[in-house]
Amino acid sequence: MIDIRNLHVSVEGKEILHDVNIKLLDGEVHALFGPNGSGKTTLIMTIIGYPQFKVTKGEIIFEGKNLLDLEIDERARLGIGVAQQRPPTIKGVKLRNIIDFYLKNNPEKVDYISKQIEKFEMQDFIDREINADLSGGEIKRSEIFQMVVSSPKFFILDEPDSGIDPEFLGKIGGMLTEILHSEKNKNQIITRSSGLIITHTGDILNYFNADLAHLMMNGTIGCTGNPQEMLEQIQQHGYEYCINCNRRKKREL
Amino acid sequence: MHNNKHKKGLQANEEQFDIVDIEEEDILRLKENLPPEIRSLDEMKAKDVKTLAEVGMLMDESNRSGTYLCYGQCGFVSTQFVEGLECIPIAEALEKYLWLKEKYWFKAIRRNEDKIVEVISNSIPRGFFIRVKKGYKIKKPFQAALYMTRSTRVQGLHNIVILEEDSELTLLTGCTRAHDAKKGLHLAISEIYIGKNAKLVNTMIHNWGPSFDIEPRTCTIVEEGGIFTNTYCSTNPPRTVQIYPFTHLKGDNSSAKYASIILGLPNTYCDIGGTILIEGANSGAEICARAVCKGGTIVQTGLLIGKGENCRAHIDCAGLMMNNEGMIEATPALRALNPNARMSHEASIGRIAPGELAYLMSKGFTEEKALSTIIRGFIDPGIEGISPELDAALTEVAEISGHGEEWDVIPIRNR
Repeated sequence: MIDIRNLHVSVEGKEILHDVNIKLLDGEVHALFGPNGSGKTTLIMTIIGYPQFKVTKGEIIFEGKNLLDLEIDERARLGIGVAQQRPPTIKGVKLRNIIDFYLKNNPEKVDYISKQIEKFEMQDFIDREINADLSGGEIKRSEIFQMVVSSPKFFILDEPDSGIDPEFLGKIGGMLTEILHSEKNKNQIITRSSGLIITHTGDILNYFNADLAHLMMNGTIGCTGNPQEMLEQIQQHGYEYCINCNRRKKREL
Repeated sequence: MHNNKHKKGLQANEEQFDIVDIEEEDILRLKENLPPEIRSLDEMKAKDVKTLAEVGMLMDESNRSGTYLCYGQCGFVSTQFVEGLECIPIAEALEKYLWLKEKYWFKAIRRNEDKIVEVISNSIPRGFFIRVKKGYKIKKPFQAALYMTRSTRVQGLHNIVILEEDSELTLLTGCTRAHDAKKGLHLAISEIYIGKNAKLVNTMIHNWGPSFDIEPRTCTIVEEGGIFTNTYCSTNPPRTVQIYPFTHLKGDNSSAKYASIILGLPNTYCDIGGTILIEGANSGAEICARAVCKGGTIVQTGLLIGKGENCRAHIDCAGLMMNNEGMIEATPALRALNPNARMSHEASIGRIAPGELAYLMSKGFTEEKALSTIIRGFIDPGIEGISPELDAALTEVAEISGHGEEWDVIPIRNR
């Protein structure tokens, strides 16, 4: 699905990511752990294609195409969807405008999207300005709901579970289940989406099985392994343990 | 009461220029009884019909309560009958109703207000008279099309709209020029009287071009409990336009809202503002001005005068600069004459944040589509139940501003 190879990324001339390598197969969902400032969001923004994140070395191959040759919108149209942690507020632009845009290109989804609006109780969000006067949890709901609507082949969630109460988490978990198992083409073949999820708490992992987890530290992938095992280690011993573990690994090499 | 405040326009390079000059020849033409260019609406050419449709004026009247068309210098009224609604040419109304001169003709605006009003007051009366009788709420919009043909050098109109007590009307006014019209001067006076608990929603759409000069003068008087919503949208600005309507909220519990949406293009000068005098107690006024500048000069001015007890007022001017050309000047003003007036203002001018653009592009929008979507959101006047005509005009402004292509959205409402 996506193959990130030897990725180096700079922002305003300063290298943030160094030699990042992640390979994610069709239908796989990976978790990405890491302390604040380790480069997780930089990785996401680079995959999406935000221009201020300059790739100085490496490549990102998505379904055989090098994403670095494509603009942001071209990447989105290939089937990459993202739920940002801090999306901007856009005056006068409503969630309805974004949903209408998807419907313009996918008119056959009218009924499906109507049902999802009802199912996830999004009626009150539809005519509100994007991300304006919304709580942190509501912003996450709105962002993830857009992925329910667009059913991306590959979804990226930036901390969907941070700072939200259990009730909201349940709703987000329900949306995630929908994204994972939604119809992906007009022949109504149900396939599992692929995804990359940044999480600090790991709470979101209760709603699906992550296949692999990566730990990002100091701008590179320090460790890859079983998500539950890694999460337990982090929760018990903190990221410091992982950093030391990584150092041990390096010494052993 | 009207204030034709700008004698000179200011360009982005800070050079001054004459906004409009009425030539003697034009004044004489307005006094002439010219033969009509067409004898009925059916004689309009397909191109005329198409041009009028661009400002929301539809010859298919299935969704209209009636039509007034000023074709060049000559006025036509459609024959549709709607109970409680009357529209006739103003000259006919002055003959038919003696009370019109006594009570309404030059009663909201003074004959010597400025040179433009003076010129029209000394011309042959042209324009429309609309009256909604007491208690009638007209469901479908009435459309008034003011159309300058190739041979119309100057158009001078005097319109009167009267909404009697407890009546309601939606008025769509479309002002434009024939595709082959090269140059022209459009002058108009509108006197609007909104009776007790009556409601007028007026939407005006302009589509001109850089060889036209536009000088309308509008004064409105609103009685107790009356509501006035006035929206102006310019999809193609003229060389110069000054629109500075005056509204007098005379009665208690009355309200007025002005919204203006302007697209500025190179070599154009748009001075759009207005004054609302809030005299009635517990009355409210709001001015919402939006401008997108791709060149030329845009002046957003507005003055709210709080005189009535417990009156409230808010003015908000916002501008988007799309490039390094052009100029936006925003001057929201408040004047309180009552210690219990609650008044506020805000003004902002800026550019589109790249983060907003990137965000929509990350949802699959092309850059052009993202731009036009952001601009469409920015210029939204925040009016409930926006008409399809205004919606189309706003979308056009957004698309021209963002170089966007036309796109249809599939509504998800009421599915």
